[in-house]
Amino acid sequence: MIFLCAGERSERTFDALLLLAVQLDRAGYAVGIDASFLPDDAPRYQKFEAAMYLCDASDVTPAIILMIGADSIADDVKLALRALPGTADTAVYGLGRFATHQMLLNAQNTLAYAVGRDVEVIDLTVWQGETTLIEDSILPLVTSISPSPIPSRTQRPKVLVYAPHDSLQQDAVLPELLAMSHSGTFDLQIVTSGQGKDFIRRSSYAYLSVFGYSELPPSGLLSYADIVAFFGPNVPGARMAQLAMEAMGAGKVVIDCTEDSSFIDAGAPLLDGPASLLSFASYLEGVVLPHRAEIGRRIQQSPWLAKFDLAHLERQIGLTRPAATPAPASTSGSTLFFPTNGSGLGHAQRCALIAAEVSPDHNVRFAAFPSCVDMLKNRGFDCLPMVQRSEEFAEGFANDLVNYRRLSSLMAPGDQLVFDGGYVFDSVYRVISASQTPAIWIRRGLWQAGQIHPNALEREHIFSKVIVPTEAFEELNAVYSRGEQVHHVGPVVNTTTSDTDRATLRSRLSALFERPFETLVVSMLGGGVASDRSVQTQMLSSTLERRSDCLHLVVAWPNAVVPDGCYGWKNTRVVQTQNTLDLCRAADLTVSAAGYNSFHELLYAAVPTLFIPQSAPYLDDQERRARAASERGLAGLVLESELMSLGREVNAVLDGGKAAEFAAAHTEITLPDIGNKAAAALIETGAGQ
Amino acid sequence: MFKGQIPAPQLQETLTRLDLALIWDAKEIAADIVIFHNPSCLRFQQELDVKIITPHLVVVAHENFLRPGGAEAFDVATCLGMIEQCSFASKRTLAPISAWNRKTIAQWQKTQRSLDRWSVLDVDWFNICDFPLLEPVDAPKDRRGRHSRPGLEKFPQQQFMEQCFPAHAEANILLGADAFVNDPQTPAHWELYPFRSISVEAYFEMIDFMIYFTAPTFRESYGRVLAEAVAAGKLTISDPETASAFGGAVQAASPEEVDGIIQSYIADPSTYRAKIIAAQRALEQFSPSAFATRFNTIFATEMSMGK
Repeated sequence: MIFLCAGERSERTFDALLLLAVQLDRAGYAVGIDASFLPDDAPRYQKFEAAMYLCDASDVTPAIILMIGADSIADDVKLALRALPGTADTAVYGLGRFATHQMLLNAQNTLAYAVGRDVEVIDLTVWQGETTLIEDSILPLVTSISPSPIPSRTQRPKVLVYAPHDSLQQDAVLPELLAMSHSGTFDLQIVTSGQGKDFIRRSSYAYLSVFGYSELPPSGLLSYADIVAFFGPNVPGARMAQLAMEAMGAGKVVIDCTEDSSFIDAGAPLLDGPASLLSFASYLEGVVLPHRAEIGRRIQQSPWLAKFDLAHLERQIGLTRPAATPAPASTSGSTLFFPTNGSGLGHAQRCALIAAEVSPDHNVRFAAFPSCVDMLKNRGFDCLPMVQRSEEFAEGFANDLVNYRRLSSLMAPGDQLVFDGGYVFDSVYRVISASQTPAIWIRRGLWQAGQIHPNALEREHIFSKVIVPTEAFEELNAVYSRGEQVHHVGPVVNTTTSDTDRATLRSRLSALFERPFETLVVSMLGGGVASDRSVQTQMLSSTLERRSDCLHLVVAWPNAVVPDGCYGWKNTRVVQTQNTLDLCRAADLTVSAAGYNSFHELLYAAVPTLFIPQSAPYLDDQERRARAASERGLAGLVLESELMSLGREVNAVLDGGKAAEFAAAHTEITLPDIGNKAAAALIETGAGQ
Repeated sequence: MFKGQIPAPQLQETLTRLDLALIWDAKEIAADIVIFHNPSCLRFQQELDVKIITPHLVVVAHENFLRPGGAEAFDVATCLGMIEQCSFASKRTLAPISAWNRKTIAQWQKTQRSLDRWSVLDVDWFNICDFPLLEPVDAPKDRRGRHSRPGLEKFPQQQFMEQCFPAHAEANILLGADAFVNDPQTPAHWELYPFRSISVEAYFEMIDFMIYFTAPTFRESYGRVLAEAVAAGKLTISDPETASAFGGAVQAASPEEVDGIIQSYIADPSTYRAKIIAAQRALEQFSPSAFATRFNTIFATEMSMGK
């Protein structure tokens, strides 16, 4: 392991450690960063990037300790160096830029006194010269230079434009970027500051594809670029300088459009582009695109770039680059499903239905939250538990940091990831971006009005396919994004039931609960997390208590909050089951929430149903879904605010002939074909195809 | 370069006695013999703006040219080069201050052609140890201490520090321990004093044994703190190389041996006293009178050689 530390502790130096760690990691080395360098107030992106590398000095025995910024070593760091890990054989190196030989010796002495053994200090100016892209940077600014330009993965070149907030605010710039985003000759991505991104999201051009510059490490951003252009006054900091270096090393076209031509002034072999974004498209199409390959090749072969080759550092510290693992054939990888977990099991259930249709030749695995693990394992899937968000964690994203590590360790080259969820977690986003993992997003629709926002879709571009399981009723199928990557399939529905007939099921239930019944009612109003349905459950129990021949089964989901009062009724029992559809088939009435899975199961099974939609702001629009069924006469609808009508509706179904009306309506309607197999086929063909 | 600094008390006394004025940062220095102390003081300068005109320039090394292991201790070539450039001298001589200091100069010289223009004095330059000699205590206790400037080069690695200053000692007094004062890893049984926060006399009152080890990558060219401790009547222990400069006045040991040595002296107070009194006698070689004799010899020899 190469154990990294720095001459001082700050957010800036920690960022430099991260950037170097990624470089070394991508070159195949095992890398660790001294965890004591993590700033107390490290921003979220740094924590995610650091999650792969942080280690306590006492836990490791590195082969090499490498200190960056050795030209300025703070007192607290000197003291900490006394406790550095390793043995007498562990080589210690310092990296820095030294104006005089004495300064180098000072650093060498300081390190040697602190660690108690001889160290070697390497002066970057010897190979890089005294001028680099960024002044006073602690970052060594090195890059791997590939033997030849890395070819584009897409037919149309991807253009990544860095523009600071100020540039974006200039007249006509956003309309111009919008026009460029619709170019037929290239795909545009914008990189900007958090402020710049917010400015775009609040504008009329909110659907532009934008990255915050710290949202992904430079190598991650580079995955989305064949051409990189930098606008603004000058070199925009260490991260963007590293992005430029890596782009040059990969043989991409890199264009200096800064007002001061800062990259070019530093000697970097960038193209000298227009400083105005308004002139960029024509420059790109007229000058760059026709000669893209040759420009990239020449940039890559520049003597200036050679000075920043990671190979110099490797030679200096005696590293031999590990042989690259050969990429497996694309068909040999497995598919990892990662369903998110809202208040119920909907995403995991949907993934399981699709996965069940995937060919047995295709290796399928799951990563899922604990409440879903049993269900998935019972259905025969291998499943690694992920960590659920919890109020007990210090930070809201703490669980996702762990999940990021777990997902990363699960994914091997050639694997593809299938994510099902509304919000694309950072863990998913970063795992896919880091190594261009082929990825598919299963994204059901029917969002509530407040959810339809560019932020919800801004990470869609990392997925090569988006599978949209449609709603049964056409008016519910709004289109949120378009493109050849978006595939609509029929409703994904569980239609699997046991072979047991209805009468047998009812007699078994009678035996199980040791009571005869004539009327069976099943209620499944949700887990109680998204919407509190304890009042409705009590009202149902009360209504059904008046019947002498009734059994009322309340289905409790994993993690459900079951009100104490449920246990006080003689006709009501709380049950846990993974065969709800069998229960509902056996019932005279099902009272259910209107989540995607339950709704479609009940609809396709044509069982008499009253829907009580849940209404949390982060859920889908259950009321619209339930109303669509109700308006067609296929089911009843009782809103949260209509508590007093619940009893009447229940009695109307059980005694008033409403069940027959529902059944009649079902005979009149043709529901769309279910989409389980179509979704599975899209997954089988692979995210890359 | 020195303006604003306080002259060393001994130098000030000499100037007063001879009724000489101190000239700060003279632009021109001319004398029969010019003695330049400690060339490493130039390490942070790019140039030396002075003309030195003399038949014989003696540069007293003071600091080691190399660290243990052979790495350069400071940019010697640049510092000596600056002195060379500004001096007009028939002869330039380097004066080591101890056997170890001489060894580092010789090793460095082997790698540098430029040092051919410099000769090396045959005898070591002198250290004057004009400390009052205090009686050792009759019954020593396990009261240990060390004092030095606060730089980390003066301290060995943590495990050696903990061996030398263990929890079972009655007292562990560390003067000049600025770096450790705010370190949460510092053992609670260490009594820490920043450099100059208490007088050296007060510090010596608190200990019976002076344990002095440095970072293994550093070595004192002489080590006045050790002579100071011996004079103060303390049994003084250091690594063999550092101890060797004191002609038996400092007991040589490794950190692992310190505990056993201390326990043996506590069990045998008379040996403790005898050892310290013998050590104080050994310091005689660094006394002012020894200095006068040696200086006169060197001065007479070098004056004649410079002509």
